[in-house]
Amino acid sequence: MIRLKDISKWYSNGSAKAHILRHIDIEINEGEFVSIMGPSGSGKSTLLHLMGMIDDPSEGEYFFEGESVFTLKEKQRSELYKKHIGFVFQAYHLIDELTVYENIETPLLYHKISSAERKAMVADILDRFQIVGKKDLFPEQLSGGQQQLVGIARAVITKPKLILADEPTGNLNSKQGEEIMDLFTRLNKEEGVTIIQVTHSEKNASYGSRTINLLDGKIAL
Amino acid sequence: MLRNYIKIALRNLSRHKVYSFINIGGLAVGMAVAILIGLWIWDELSFNKSFKNYDKIAAVWQNQTFNGFKGTQRAVPYVLGDEIKAKYGSDFKYVTMCSWEGEHALSYKDKKLLPRGNFFEPQVTEMLSLTMLKGSRDGLKDPSSILLSASLAKSFFGNEDPMNKVINFQNRFDLKVTGVYQDLPYNSEFTNLKFIIPWKKFIDDQHWEEKETNPWRNNSFICYAQIADNADMEQVSKKIKNVKLNKVTKEDAAFKPEIFLHPMRNWHLYSNFENGVNNGGRITFVWLFGIIGLFVLLLACINFMNLSTARSEKRAKEVGIRKAVGSLRSQLISQFFSESLLVTLFSFVLALVIVQLSLPLFNGIADKKMQILWANPLFWILCITFSLFTGIVSGSYPALYLSSFQPVKVLKGKLRAGRLASIPRKVLVVIQFTVSIVLIIGTAIVFRQIQHAQNRPVGYSREGLIYVPIFSETICSHYNALRDDLLKTGMVTEMAQSSNPSTDLWAVNNGYEWKGMQPGEQGNFGTVAVSHDFGKTIGWQLKEGRDFSRVYPSDTTAMIINEAAASFMHLKNPVGEIVKCDGQPFKVIGVVKDLVMTSPYEPVFRTVFMLNYNWASVFNIKINPDKSTKEALAAIEVVFKKYDPGSPFQFRFIDQEYASKFNDEQRIGKLASIFAVLAIFISCLGLFGLASFMAEQRTKEIGVRKVLGATVFNLWGLLSKDFVLLMVISLVFSTPFAYYFMSQWLQKFQYRMEISWWIFALAGIVAVGIALLTVSYQAIKAALANPVKSLRTE
Repeated sequence: MIRLKDISKWYSNGSAKAHILRHIDIEINEGEFVSIMGPSGSGKSTLLHLMGMIDDPSEGEYFFEGESVFTLKEKQRSELYKKHIGFVFQAYHLIDELTVYENIETPLLYHKISSAERKAMVADILDRFQIVGKKDLFPEQLSGGQQQLVGIARAVITKPKLILADEPTGNLNSKQGEEIMDLFTRLNKEEGVTIIQVTHSEKNASYGSRTINLLDGKIAL
Repeated sequence: MLRNYIKIALRNLSRHKVYSFINIGGLAVGMAVAILIGLWIWDELSFNKSFKNYDKIAAVWQNQTFNGFKGTQRAVPYVLGDEIKAKYGSDFKYVTMCSWEGEHALSYKDKKLLPRGNFFEPQVTEMLSLTMLKGSRDGLKDPSSILLSASLAKSFFGNEDPMNKVINFQNRFDLKVTGVYQDLPYNSEFTNLKFIIPWKKFIDDQHWEEKETNPWRNNSFICYAQIADNADMEQVSKKIKNVKLNKVTKEDAAFKPEIFLHPMRNWHLYSNFENGVNNGGRITFVWLFGIIGLFVLLLACINFMNLSTARSEKRAKEVGIRKAVGSLRSQLISQFFSESLLVTLFSFVLALVIVQLSLPLFNGIADKKMQILWANPLFWILCITFSLFTGIVSGSYPALYLSSFQPVKVLKGKLRAGRLASIPRKVLVVIQFTVSIVLIIGTAIVFRQIQHAQNRPVGYSREGLIYVPIFSETICSHYNALRDDLLKTGMVTEMAQSSNPSTDLWAVNNGYEWKGMQPGEQGNFGTVAVSHDFGKTIGWQLKEGRDFSRVYPSDTTAMIINEAAASFMHLKNPVGEIVKCDGQPFKVIGVVKDLVMTSPYEPVFRTVFMLNYNWASVFNIKINPDKSTKEALAAIEVVFKKYDPGSPFQFRFIDQEYASKFNDEQRIGKLASIFAVLAIFISCLGLFGLASFMAEQRTKEIGVRKVLGATVFNLWGLLSKDFVLLMVISLVFSTPFAYYFMSQWLQKFQYRMEISWWIFALAGIVAVGIALLTVSYQAIKAALANPVKSLRTE
């Protein structure tokens, strides 16, 4: 599903280059649950963003479902992204001015889905995540764990094949964290969604089927 | 999708009430100012346009050359109309002579009124396309007829039929009502024309034909004309240039009279002439206010942009999220545009409310009767175009700037505006305050100039001085008895008659000769006929010689001249000199200090005062300062009624008349000060927004400094310093502009103030003070914040 070929990324700092990623080669198949680990500054998040097409590398190639991503135009790439990828953030990143219901609905607006269908889809997911009672609340009225649930609900509502999660439990206590990891496991097992998460925690990594360790921008063997 | 945009826009507005208030309120005020000014300009431009023959009507004016300088005047000889008709008949459709519109005493049975009106030739009804409610446009054919405006007919006859009723004119003659016309619109030259009497009646009644041995010499009448349908205004104007020159005597030809057409379209806005060339007029104000309106609107737009971008960091997260869930940049752009258009729409509605509420006040100041042009499609097209334009311009920066954020950077909190990020905002604030300071300085100078002219010594005492216009000649024949009776009441200390009130100069005669007069020099002097007690009544100050006196019967051939006249004639010892007037010798018996009779901004015109009891237009009365004005007026009225029961008693206070000379400038000053205050207000809103943005930006810095021991005062200074610098820069930019424009404006006044440096210093202090007040709220709030809290958010 995902193939990264010889990916490098650096920032030019005057004449010196600050490397974030060096010659990364990764292949991830559909249905996998992969954890990316490594110390701070090892390039985990950058790698995740590259896979999520919201950042560009300095060199290298990226094939998503056999399509070369970096040669696509913005619109095509956006289409590909919208269709297949859902993002979950450490800081949840819900829109403060929208209710739970509206936050979950937002991606559907960009998918040009009809109003009736949107209603059905949002209702369904609220039900599945057991947050129906919270649908008219604003993010600030929710606990961190609840906000992250909404964040995940928003990510999965478009039925993506791939979920990218950037330290999804980083701001949560351990109990909330477990719930979220259980949810990811269910999505992976029951619906076959490919999941790639960045995490600091060995325990969270153990939920996955494979772990990639990064150190100083390189895959540590 | 659009609903989602609107929903989030509305929530954003209601969540951030202060910002929304600044945004919508500021823009609404800006728009309201623009709409008000727009209405004012519309009103000015549509002046006289209600006349069907607007493009074809002209006033016939003349240029004459005095001492090498071409003077332009509307007054022409009464025979000019007939001469034009005879020589150039095919170029004109209608030509009509008339007198000066003025108040006249009309009476019907016991009802006496003082409406304004004039004498015209019969065709005026066609020329002005009068809408006849009764009778026909032929109503002036009979010399003893009168046409009334609907409002005057109503005041006279109520609901009775006015036709064929007989109205008396100033106890002189009777006139039969032969028609009623609709009152002319308020924004037209003839709005106060409430009745029309045939010109022939005027000529016959005043015996002009017998009085004038050479009718081409007396320029005391007005002439209007409508050119033929196919004729060209400019060509006809050139054609008739010499129509007067061909008729005058050789001596008068020296004044080089040139007749020309002053088209109706220029009457209102282009009425000034300098040396025979039209050099604008009120059009200057139309431009001035148009520019001010645009600037105020620009200030409001700048605010909008400034605040939107200042808040960008808050919105940046939303942009990042939306991009992360699949929004295209174009979708974000349209989201931000729909938001700014929504705010513009709110502002526009609010602006209409503000305009509607403030119109009465604005009309009062501007002396207009403007209304919002609800039914005028052009108004709506202009307003909506303007709103769209404003929305797009003010929304463009946030829309294009915010949508360009890279989601990763925003969401990871990497998008920290750098040191340079506030530069564009600072530039915008400097523009705002530059405009505002120019307005402050301009307003200050306008008011200083008015004050300067008001403080000018006028050469006589206005206190307790009134004048009573003379409507009927009967009262003049009782002058001495009237005067005695008035003095006997004890309410009046002195009383005299004259050919014009002391606040005006109605006659300029050009037949003077004096000793040492150079060849080529032309003697045109203001000429005032007075009675013996005129000087004592108004309290003029004699510089040399003596006042008129009943002791010297020879004073009937004496004259008193003012200082300007004495210096014009280069007379070293004017008293005792002989000055000829139309060939008759007069002896100069005194010189008075210059009296400011015409414009308080002009040098005093050379003027001659002569004893003449047969040429009187007003009675001047000095009220006894020990008596109450109200009582005095009642007593004076009784005496007047005794000698002239037929005319209504009408009087004017000289100090009020004098004050009215400043009306135009005061009006301009008031309007300018209102706009200046609004400009400052709007700019302050922008400054407030910028200050809160900068305080937010520096939260961490402030926290660190506080932990290191900075006091609130230190921090206040730190945050305010930047703004004071911005004000200083604005002051530096605005000073040359203000200086240039205001010295240009002052040029039109001969009697003018010097622009002194302290006005600029004061404007600077005001601007810095206002800015500090605005900024301090934010600065102190930031300085008082708990550093633990602000540092934790990092």
